[in-house]
Parts: sequence; structure tokens; C-alpha cells
Amino acid sequence: MSLVTDAFVSQIAAVEPWPENATIYQPMKSEQVLLSDNASCLAVQAFLRMCNLPVQVVCRANAEYMSPSGKVPFIHVGNQVISELGPIVQFVKAKGHSLSDGLDEVQKAEMKAYMELVNSMLLTAELYIQWCDEATLEEITQPRYSSPYSWPLNYVLVVQKKWEIKRKMKAIGWAGKTLEQVYEDVDQCCQALSQRLGTQPYFFNKQPTELDALVFGHLFTILTTQLTNDELREKVKGYNNLNAFCRRIEQNYFEDHDKDSASGYSTRLTKGPVLP
Amino acid sequence: MAAWTFKTPMAMASSRSRAALSLAHSAATYAKFAGAPLKVQKVSNPWRSPSGHLPALKTQDEGDLYQVTKIITHLRKQKYNADYDLSAKQGADTLAFISLLEEKLLPALIHMLWVDSRNYVEHTRKWYAEAIPFPLNFFIPNQMHRRSLERLQLIRGESWEEEDDALEKQLYADAQECMTLLSQRLGTQKFFFGESPASLDAYIFSYLALILNTKLPNHKLQQHLKTLNNLCQYCNCILTLYFPSDGDAVPRVSPKKPNPESSDTEEEPHKRRNQILSVVVGLMAMVSYALLSGIVSIQHVSQDSALERSIALDDNVDDEE
Repeated sequence: MSLVTDAFVSQIAAVEPWPENATIYQPMKSEQVLLSDNASCLAVQAFLRMCNLPVQVVCRANAEYMSPSGKVPFIHVGNQVISELGPIVQFVKAKGHSLSDGLDEVQKAEMKAYMELVNSMLLTAELYIQWCDEATLEEITQPRYSSPYSWPLNYVLVVQKKWEIKRKMKAIGWAGKTLEQVYEDVDQCCQALSQRLGTQPYFFNKQPTELDALVFGHLFTILTTQLTNDELREKVKGYNNLNAFCRRIEQNYFEDHDKDSASGYSTRLTKGPVLP
Repeated sequence: MAAWTFKTPMAMASSRSRAALSLAHSAATYAKFAGAPLKVQKVSNPWRSPSGHLPALKTQDEGDLYQVTKIITHLRKQKYNADYDLSAKQGADTLAFISLLEEKLLPALIHMLWVDSRNYVEHTRKWYAEAIPFPLNFFIPNQMHRRSLERLQLIRGESWEEEDDALEKQLYADAQECMTLLSQRLGTQKFFFGESPASLDAYIFSYLALILNTKLPNHKLQQHLKTLNNLCQYCNCILTLYFPSDGDAVPRVSPKKPNPESSDTEEEPHKRRNQILSVVVGLMAMVSYALLSGIVSIQHVSQDSALERSIALDDNVDDEE
């Protein structure tokens, strides 16, 4: 979101309260959504639920192309369309709902830093595994990503997306990494998160913040998704406090509202509820 | 313990790696913090680094290392560890803040040096062109400009144009927010984790010192950094404590300054070789031009036919007799 829209949002949005018909758009959950998109969608949903803002979930096969930034998910509130967690957090803040107001300045800086850690390590690792690992690409990514389209568009779009991701990996220096090194990075990131969390219920003690929503989105998706092998899931499973953290958020924010939503949310790759 | 040879870009001279100088400095600063003996070698030709990347660390047992993280890990293995006193939570914080720097500050830094058209034309290109040896200085700066632009496009979405104001503003807003966050995190402490420096300080210092000490025509980041007093103090403190009288710890401020240290670079021994090479290349160019345009032509005559002809000539002579 640009600065202009930023200023606009903070002026206009503050006036209007959160409408009843707010909608979140995301890809089809059972046959289309990929690991990384699922994580981002779940993070935004968790954030909105933590803020106690009602939102209706709509699945569209072309959600990626409807989004203003080309990334899922995006929310439609009143006459505004905003995509991705960062801008959505800002927008919601302008409406007067914030999870991080209780934090002091040092904690806010740390929260932002950890959010970047999750984005730069977990999200990139998910993208790497689903687009750069040949086995995963062939077995999972290709059929799922191209499911709404017929020949020849299904091949064209997959190849296009694959090259885009590969160029991005090259630009950030991940192109030369092996799958083992990527798992190693995920492990390092989880270790850092686990150490930071310690024995607290949430990252900044009693109250959840947007960092908790983001971490939950990624870890819960990794824990409940069946890939070609279990290695990624095993890395996360190794940290007991992170597992308990995921279950806590699932129970507090997803099961109360709607018994089935969290497990129904996870993709078809799921082999039942996998949480330990 | 023998000193390692540490290769660093000369006066910010070329490197294939991103934001080369700041990376070089994070490794060098780390070594200084940890008290490791280093011999710093300035390199102005990117092809002279063992791997084509700078900075590089030459070690006796593990060969050449060229990534900052690898260099720091190597130093750590050799018991030059600046993070020894940190708790597990502080170690996690280090990782998180490094991500913050790379995601928020590094893109703006690349833009500031390589993409912003005024800075690039008036400053960076001139600077690099003076430091890089002759034929390379014509295309390496342009190549790096193109690569930096491409990199930003990949990070920030494909639609980025060179003069895209909205995205550029967003980029700088992110970087300024990042510096503000760092300033808040530092507070009144001397270093990020209390009284002694750690690897995180090496990373942060290397970015901030570059912003603080470079004179660019268009320098929004510096203006913002100067309003954050504790960060400026922090940078100057590290400079005086760990880089006393080392002019090159600070990136050279203007491209025009004469380079007093040029004698200690490794360019001199190859001067003669370079001269001979350029003469050879020039000669070859002239000869091939002459050949291609037909001014000189070479007729290939096989030895046998030449022999026959001379015999035939002999016969003629005999006949006449």
C-alpha cells in the first residue's frame, strides 16, 4: 500500500466503523491452495479473529488475480480492498483496533523484527519447497496450482510462476541452496521462535499480537499439511512449546467460533487432525 | 595463530555481491569485535577474489570463504566469538534483527546507491569507474546497476519502473521505520546487548556507517539517521573504539579524493603484465581488422605445389638452355 493510500486510509477509514459484510477472499481451500498461500490466509484470519472482527470467508479460484497486489489473501471492507497481512494490520489499526498498543517501544521493535524473520525464513522456505523442489512441484504444486485451468493454460501458468519464484530465489541468494540447507534454515528459525516464546502463552506474554497470528498461520499450516515427505513437519514438531502455542490459538480463536473451521480449513493434503 | 587474509572491496570498489561494502564491513567489524588477527587486503578487481565474490576470507585449513555468515561461522569455530555471553533469547533476537535489516534496510540501500538516477550517475558510477582497472570499468558499473534494479523488481513486485514514485516512497518509508525501530531498541544502551558488542552490532554498524558517512546528492536515509541521535553516537563510538586511524573503515567520502593507500593494494606487481596485455590486444585488433577488411590477405600455398612449381621453373630454365 502506498503512502498516499496510507494517508487516505487513516483519514477516511477511521470514520467508518467495521461493517458487517466484511469479506476475506482466498483460493479454493480443498483443491487449489498451496502451502505458502494457506499460511498467509490463516495468519490474516487469525489476526482478525484476535481483533474480534467478524469476517466472511469467500473462496475464489482466481483470488490471486483479483488481489490488488497479486498476493492472497485480501479483504474487502466497505469500499476498500487491501491485501496481505502488513497493510491489513495498518488498515485495521486506522479503524481503531490494534493488538500491539499495549507494547512498549522496544517490544514493538522486537515484534517487527520477528515478523520479518518469519517472512524471510519460513515463507521463503515454503516457496522454495513448493516451487524449487522437483518432487513437490510435480506431485503437489503443479496439479493444485493449475487445477482451475484447462490445457494449455495450466502448463503456461505453472511454468510462468515457477520461473518467477526461481528468479526471486536467485536474487535473494537462495538459488544455490539444497533442500537440506532449507530445512536447516527452518529449524534455525523455529529454534529462535521457540527460545523467544519460552514458557509464555503468547510472544508478548498474556495478550496475542500480530506476530502470534503470523507465526500461528505458518506453523499450523506446516503441522497440518502432508507434503511428499515429513521432514518439514518434523522440524516444527521438535519444539514442544511451539506445538502447544499452535493448539492454544486454535482452541481459543477457531474452535470457539465455529467447531469445524480450523480443521476444515486445512487443505486436502491433511491426513486428519495431525496436531499432537 | 597465523593471520587470515581478508579481502575487501577497495574504496568500495566493485563486487558482485549486494551492497558490497556494508557486507565487507560486517565481517571485518565482527573480526575486530572478536579480536581476531586479520590482514586486510583491498581488491579493486572483482575477478581477483577467489570466488568472484567480495568480501572473501582466505584461511589455511578451509580454503576460501566468501559469505558473511560463513566467515562469521568460521571465526566462531576458531574461538573468536563475539556472541559468547549472549543468552538463547538474545541469540534469537540477533537472527530476528538481521532479518529486519535485510528485508527493510537493504533494499533501500541498494536503491540509494545503484538505482536512484542522480546518486548513481553523479556518485556511484564515478566512484566505481575510478577504482576498477581499465577495461572492466566500462561495463561493471552498468551491469551492477541493471542487476540492482532487477533485484528490487523481484523483491518488490514486477511492475517496478526506474522512476516509480509510489514504490520508491514505500521503500524509503520502510527503511526509515527500520532505523527508528533500531533506535528504539538501542535506547540508551552502549551496544544492542548491553556493554559489549556482539555479531548483531557488527551487522547493524556496517549498514548504518555506510549511510552515515557517504556523501550522496540525494540522501534521504542520512537525513533521517541524523535525527536519531543515539544511533549516530553508537556508530561514532564503534568507529573510534574499533577502527582507530583506519581511514578505510569509513567508506571513502567522495570519488575524487586521491588514494594514499593505493600502494598497498595488490595492483602494482601486475602493472607490467597489464601493459603487455593491452599492447597484445591492440595489436590483435589491428591485425584482425586488416585481415577482415581485405587490406592484407594471406594466400595459403601448400608446400608440395610450391616445390612442384619450382621444379617446373627449373625445367623451363633447362629447356631454354
